[in-house]
Amino acid sequence: MKFLCIDCDTAMKFKDVTRPEQGSVTAVFECPDCFTEIAMFLNPSETQMLKSLDLKLGGNNATAQPMQMIRSQLETSKQDLMSDVSVDMDISETEEGGKCPFTSVISDAFEEKTEPETEGISWTSEALERLERIPSFVRPMAKMGIEGFAKDNGHSEITGEVMDAARGNFPM
Amino acid sequence: MKTYEELPDDAGSNIVGQVNAQATRISKRLASVNYTVAIMSGKGGVGKSVVTANIATALTLSGLAVGVVDADINGPTIAKIMGVRNTTLEYASSGVKPAETPLGTKVISMDLLLSEDDAPVLWNAHTQKDAFTWRSSMEVSALREFIGDTDWGELDYLLLDLPPGSERLSNVFELIPNLGGVVVVTIPSEVSNLIVKKSITMARDMLKVPIIGVIENMSHYECQHCGEHEPLFSSEGSVSASFQLSSLGKIPFDPKLSICSDNGTPFVHEYPNSPAGKELMNVSQKVQDFFKS
Repeated sequence: MKFLCIDCDTAMKFKDVTRPEQGSVTAVFECPDCFTEIAMFLNPSETQMLKSLDLKLGGNNATAQPMQMIRSQLETSKQDLMSDVSVDMDISETEEGGKCPFTSVISDAFEEKTEPETEGISWTSEALERLERIPSFVRPMAKMGIEGFAKDNGHSEITGEVMDAARGNFPM
Repeated sequence: MKTYEELPDDAGSNIVGQVNAQATRISKRLASVNYTVAIMSGKGGVGKSVVTANIATALTLSGLAVGVVDADINGPTIAKIMGVRNTTLEYASSGVKPAETPLGTKVISMDLLLSEDDAPVLWNAHTQKDAFTWRSSMEVSALREFIGDTDWGELDYLLLDLPPGSERLSNVFELIPNLGGVVVVTIPSEVSNLIVKKSITMARDMLKVPIIGVIENMSHYECQHCGEHEPLFSSEGSVSASFQLSSLGKIPFDPKLSICSDNGTPFVHEYPNSPAGKELMNVSQKVQDFFKS
């Protein structure tokens, strides 16, 4: 994708990107002549597509890590995969990234914020006990789904009743 | 007003550069691999993975350096068949150290990365709704990392055990344009041949990938008492003949093959003089002959 400032007839430059909220990413582009800014919103599917291809908006100057996509995106992986193993690969190509000065920010940009979905929502002890009974490899997804259901339906506290109501939508 | 072509770049993302860099990682890695061979069928349940594991072991027993990529991301079985499920992968600057069998065959499989036996491959996402739009891309990216980020070292052969589906070879071909060849596995049933023919057409006519030959797995049952051959399926005429392809071998059904796979012990090593063991050794020799010729 390319962006043009029509008034200046100048190619806009990538400026910034937000971390995903509700699965959606916002990228900001700026005209280098008149400094007009525009925002581009990627819906969750578009954001996920970029993640799945292990591509970074704004370029990627970071040195490749071994199996970085699998290790960062596999929900059902062994715990040791998700540890802070950070080994730059000798084989990596160094000229893959763009020249954007904000690259270090963007390289992390696809790490989902952890707070928005749970903000303002609490779990009763009964609900937490039930959550613990869900198989570990689907628990994070189930938790996120239940919290999303609660938020969408105006519940500030997740109880057994709320979980029952959400049962049809999520694995429990 | 300027057009798309007149704008200098994609505003700094350099998506083309990132994709090219991914391809470069694979080509650099495969520079130390002599031959890449995809084992495919198109049809599920014909024994591709068992055949792959035993060809790999047979090649290893011939003194060759061999690696196996379990390209079946969602149904990985190679690690179990080759007895390396308990391996903990190590990360180093040269890449991920693959699992290694006692005989020295190197293995990478999604099975080595999953948390529990009953854990499916589930990708991190804001929502799994509409996952069909991106799941295939995740799987191809995972396969790319298996091939490109594994520290294979110097290999004579890298075998790729493909999942069912006639389109799967296309994904591999995108990642490895200079794929050395394809081994087709089928069973002598019309249902199997119906699907396998589509895969052969895809490989030979669409992708122009060299087909090394066809293996007829479970071709017959050989009585262990009197040696009489009994057919297990009723198909007449072989796929290799109808497509004028080389027949690499007809592997008889042998319950010990299944037992060895369950135990993670290589059948060709345990029973090299059994009819199936001899046939698998012959297959591996024909694969070598293909590349020598």
